[in-house]
Amino acid sequence: MRVLFRRTLPLACALLAAAVPAAAVHAQDIVLGASVQLTGPDANTGRYYKDAYQLAIDKINASGGVKFGGASHKLVLKLYDNQSDINLSVRQYTQLVTQDKVNLLLGPFASAFVIADSAIAEKYKVPMVQGGGASDQIYARKFKYIFGTLPAASNYYGSTIELLKQVQPKPQTVALLHADDAFDMSVAKGTRDLLQKAGLKLVMDERYHINSTDFSSLLSQVKSANPDVVLVAGLETDILNFVRQSKSLNVSPKMYSMTVGVPSADFRKALGKDSEYAFGMTAWLPSAENKDKWFGDGEQFAQAWKTKFGYDPDYHAGSGVADVEALTLAMEAAGSAEPQKVRDALAKVKFDSEYGMVAFHENGQIFDIPQIVIQIQNDKVVPIFSGKGLLAKPVYPVPAWNAR
Amino acid sequence: MDLFAQILVNGVLLGGLYAIMALGLALVWGVLNIVNLAHGAFIMLGAYLSWSLYTFLGIDPFVGLPITAVVMFALGYALQRGLLNLLVRAPMFNTLLITFGLEVVLTYLAQMVFSADFRAINPSYAGASVALGPITIPVARLAAFGAALVLTVGLWLFLLHTRLGRAIRATAQNLVAARLYGVEPMRLYAVTFGLGMALAGMAGTLYGTVSQINPYIGSALTAKSFAIAIIGGLDNPLGVIVGGVLLGVIESLTTLYIGPTFADVASFGILVLVLIIRPGGLIGRTRTA
Repeated sequence: MRVLFRRTLPLACALLAAAVPAAAVHAQDIVLGASVQLTGPDANTGRYYKDAYQLAIDKINASGGVKFGGASHKLVLKLYDNQSDINLSVRQYTQLVTQDKVNLLLGPFASAFVIADSAIAEKYKVPMVQGGGASDQIYARKFKYIFGTLPAASNYYGSTIELLKQVQPKPQTVALLHADDAFDMSVAKGTRDLLQKAGLKLVMDERYHINSTDFSSLLSQVKSANPDVVLVAGLETDILNFVRQSKSLNVSPKMYSMTVGVPSADFRKALGKDSEYAFGMTAWLPSAENKDKWFGDGEQFAQAWKTKFGYDPDYHAGSGVADVEALTLAMEAAGSAEPQKVRDALAKVKFDSEYGMVAFHENGQIFDIPQIVIQIQNDKVVPIFSGKGLLAKPVYPVPAWNAR
Repeated sequence: MDLFAQILVNGVLLGGLYAIMALGLALVWGVLNIVNLAHGAFIMLGAYLSWSLYTFLGIDPFVGLPITAVVMFALGYALQRGLLNLLVRAPMFNTLLITFGLEVVLTYLAQMVFSADFRAINPSYAGASVALGPITIPVARLAAFGAALVLTVGLWLFLLHTRLGRAIRATAQNLVAARLYGVEPMRLYAVTFGLGMALAGMAGTLYGTVSQINPYIGSALTAKSFAIAIIGGLDNPLGVIVGGVLLGVIESLTTLYIGPTFADVASFGILVLVLIIRPGGLIGRTRTA
């Protein structure tokens, strides 16, 4: 009896151990890999992607994960900090694919990073869905494994220029200032064409180096050229310096509009009342009209975000969450997490999300989402123009700095 | 013509800011023979210090200048006594390594404490300007320029006419002779480094009133300060003012006539030229290595 017990106990234990996981029907986890800017000069925006990926994954897991092959698969995030260093991010994406063997990729922030990192996705044939890069260069290479949820950089000023046709007195002249990085070069190139089509005269067109902190000479030139409208495509740091130094040199065009910065809470906090009247744009606003399978709608998503992280989401956040959702739905459609199959499913995916309707062109870029023109009024981001119609009355012309 | 005059004024005012940024670096380099790669990070710390004083306690940045100076002096003194004294006479490479490490540590500490959010020291007059005919002069920049002049001349007089200042210069020129005359180099080095950091801190205050602050502004400021220190020379604070203003004017004119992307090319081009033609700086004796 004792011998029998001794012999059977380990066997029983082994059987029990084998039986427990099987009883829970634990399907294999799906690992999504990403490298984003958590430290370094881009950390300020990079955090949106970290938070977006985590929030979306938690939410999807809470409602049962990714369902295919008769099982529910949990999503797991494998995230690295690229320290705002492009070379490091390329190494980290290589590591994610070759050593960590992640199933699928999510993108970094900023066009220059996406351009470099998507080459890794392409090389190893692992699809990357990214919401951080908008430069047209990303899609000009006919890559098959890169999908993006930001609208085209070349059309960032599209709706702003439409608005210019409607305001009174009608502006005639425009100055365009832009940084020399991939995203802002694309914006500038597209904007020149748009301005020409709209019959607006470009009286000044200057490119500056991306790390410039002193805009006083450039601004003096703007003042001397005296354009009705100034368009600035640059980094958020540039934008802050630009606005501060505009004020101190009393450069007061009828309107100034910036590609980035204006929708973020940071912009208003750093500038205080000097942020007032600034025009900008956003591809996303928390709207109840944007239905979402997991969050309900855009407004509820914004609420969930604010509750969890304590700050307001902006379009980076919306875009990052849509990326995770796109991958999830593509896996379910493909019935697999195999990169090649998911890639083919992504090309056909079409769904409503908190971010809007997501579907991709053949080159991988999202079908055009119009930029909504916004203006800071009474310390609030006010949606002004949807690309088709006015949403609120713009303060135009903007009061001169010395008359505020 | 108006535009040219305006750009020239912009350049001179920018140069004043540059000069005060470089002043501390030049002082420490000249006396301790340490090229402090963490200099820009100290400027960043000074900026955050003033920002905190202004935001949380409502102390005007210009009124707060002495507070920033004292705090930064104490920090510099302690750092020199505790850490950098180990390598005053060490090979240049070691000093570069350790100050570079210090830069990284300070930057990431700043990110932990202040987050990566962008800040600006923004009192009501920060954006004010006075019009001088067709020329607009930003008040904050004018004040920064004035502060730079006062501090530079003050430092110059201090080095020339006080006992401590003479001791600092003597140590820089000949350590052995200075020791024979009773100078205590340990303390002196710490005082000098403290002075350098106090200057960096005040530069940070002025920088924060005209530009934006984030934890990563340091390395670019170090590079600029380095160029100005070389151009101006290490022997004389007045040389640093000349170097700063020269660089400010050249960058502004390059922006106007060639294009903004070439501003850095011009300033570092001047640096190379000075190194070839007058390695001791535009003002000051020619060094023989």
